[in-house]
Amino acid sequence: MIKTSGLTFQYDERDMVFNFPDISLGPSENLLILGKSGIGKTTFLHVLAGLLTPLEGKVEIEGISIHSLSNRKMDRFRGQNIGLVFQKNHAIQSLNVFENLQARLFFANKAISNTIISDLLEQLDIIDCRSKKVRELSEGQLQRLGIAMSVIHRPQLILADEPTSSLDDDNCETVMQLLIDQATANNANLIVITHDGRIQPLFQNSLTL
Amino acid sequence: MNVWSISIRNFRYKPLYTFLSILILSVSIALLLAIQQMEASFKQQLENNLGNIDMVVGAKGSPLQLVLSSVLHIDNPTGNISFEEAQKLSKNPLVKMAVPISYGDNYKGYRIVGTTNNFSILYQATLEQGRTMEKPMEVVLGAAVAERFDLHIGDTFLSSHGLAEKNDHDHEEPLTVVGIYKPTHKILDRLIVTDLNTIWDVHHHEGAPNDNHEKEITSLLVTFRSPMGFLTLPRNINSNTTMQAALPKYELERLYQFTGVGVKTVTWIAYIILIISCITIFISLYRMVRDRAFDLALMRTYGANVRQLVKMVAYEGLLIVGIAFIVGILLSQIGVRFIFEMIMDQYKQSVPLLLNYKEIAQTGGLALLMVSLAIGLAIFPIIKMNISKILSHEK
Repeated sequence: MIKTSGLTFQYDERDMVFNFPDISLGPSENLLILGKSGIGKTTFLHVLAGLLTPLEGKVEIEGISIHSLSNRKMDRFRGQNIGLVFQKNHAIQSLNVFENLQARLFFANKAISNTIISDLLEQLDIIDCRSKKVRELSEGQLQRLGIAMSVIHRPQLILADEPTSSLDDDNCETVMQLLIDQATANNANLIVITHDGRIQPLFQNSLTL
Repeated sequence: MNVWSISIRNFRYKPLYTFLSILILSVSIALLLAIQQMEASFKQQLENNLGNIDMVVGAKGSPLQLVLSSVLHIDNPTGNISFEEAQKLSKNPLVKMAVPISYGDNYKGYRIVGTTNNFSILYQATLEQGRTMEKPMEVVLGAAVAERFDLHIGDTFLSSHGLAEKNDHDHEEPLTVVGIYKPTHKILDRLIVTDLNTIWDVHHHEGAPNDNHEKEITSLLVTFRSPMGFLTLPRNINSNTTMQAALPKYELERLYQFTGVGVKTVTWIAYIILIISCITIFISLYRMVRDRAFDLALMRTYGANVRQLVKMVAYEGLLIVGIAFIVGILLSQIGVRFIFEMIMDQYKQSVPLLLNYKEIAQTGGLALLMVSLAIGLAIFPIIKMNISKILSHEK
């Protein structure tokens, strides 16, 4: 569950102030946020993830006002409760697929279970890539790994930043469906920000910035 | 999976970078260690070779040459002195012991020293086998000589004239081995000791025109009874006789001053290489931090805190220093051993290899300090990292 109220953000005193709409998602609810480039989509996502501190307003995840946490607690909270999906770079270059998921669990301070990792890789159909280095993966495989990285630790909230913009139509639909399925399976809220209209039919809730 | 195992994987991710960093650092550590070790070993060996010799008396000339030839047995003698005059000096009350030595011959490059049985007392040498010499043409071998030529008690050999190898002018009378000294790790190991008369006899038979000419020796090795000797005797000899007196310890100090310049230069070069290698490590870690900025930011989103990331990069640097240090020690040991082998062959000097743990620790500490500085500078950006900015510039 996530709830925001009166969020504003400003990079620098001379810059413009972003005003973000209030959102409120119940258990397992998903949200698509559409908007053109430069409108502050990524900024909004980073405020939601606690990577940026808002000028005003607050973000509550599972009842916790995340911006009132100390830096260290914020790191831990984010690691344990939030999963982030990016457009292109999804994992640590020097580790292979399996090791990346182990590292994800390690940094989230969660028990490292190889069975859970294998099961997830199987569900996402990338179990054959388990020993491959990140740079050896195709775009589609990479995006699946990105999804795996964002859900392996069973987060409350999954935030995806343009997850489909570098994928072709086929991959776009499959990957998005996988992401939604994983969010549902984990009882997590999924918030996707994109300018990619192709995925709008997959969401009931959407808003435009 | 923990911070260490990620460090190790990072370390292996760019093998060429890692290899170069280790190579350059280990070479500079090896150079520093080798220089220190060689300097220490040579000093120790030179001082060791002095034995109990406080003063050398020989023909006038360069005092350093006199010490080099009569004490260290590496240069040519300055000339000869009268045996009679030397004997007078031996009776001086300040003299505890005076051992005459006379040169002239060699056996395959190893010097034959004509002297008395007291010569071995200067080096606290004892016999391994056999007995001391009792009459001319008998020799006692230093341990290294016996081993090198596989000579045993009762064996005979022919000496050659002169001090250097490759002299085809062999003497006709064979020398007989009657004893072999225990290894002393001093110059004695590489000498062939015989009676003074051997040298005189051999050279007289060579058709010296004047058979009753005065007996001569190369030099007299003197041990003082008290430090008073240092004060009065050398000055006395140098101003009142045709001979010169040289103090080995003093001459060696002068020698260090001459050779010290070279040692210093090489040491500075080694330090410069160490600095360069630290800069290399700094650059490669700094580049790594920048190249992997996105990875590091990702780890932060996974829940890693700043301390874990700093540890991760620091471990990588420490791994480089650790391996470079071990490789450096190995390289220096191989290098020094190789050089020593060469020296032993060329100069017939045995130099014991000293492994000075204090210096290894110092050099290691210095390398660690410098690399820590490099690591510290390189990971500074991690602390100031703006995750949001890095993540939003992912394309």
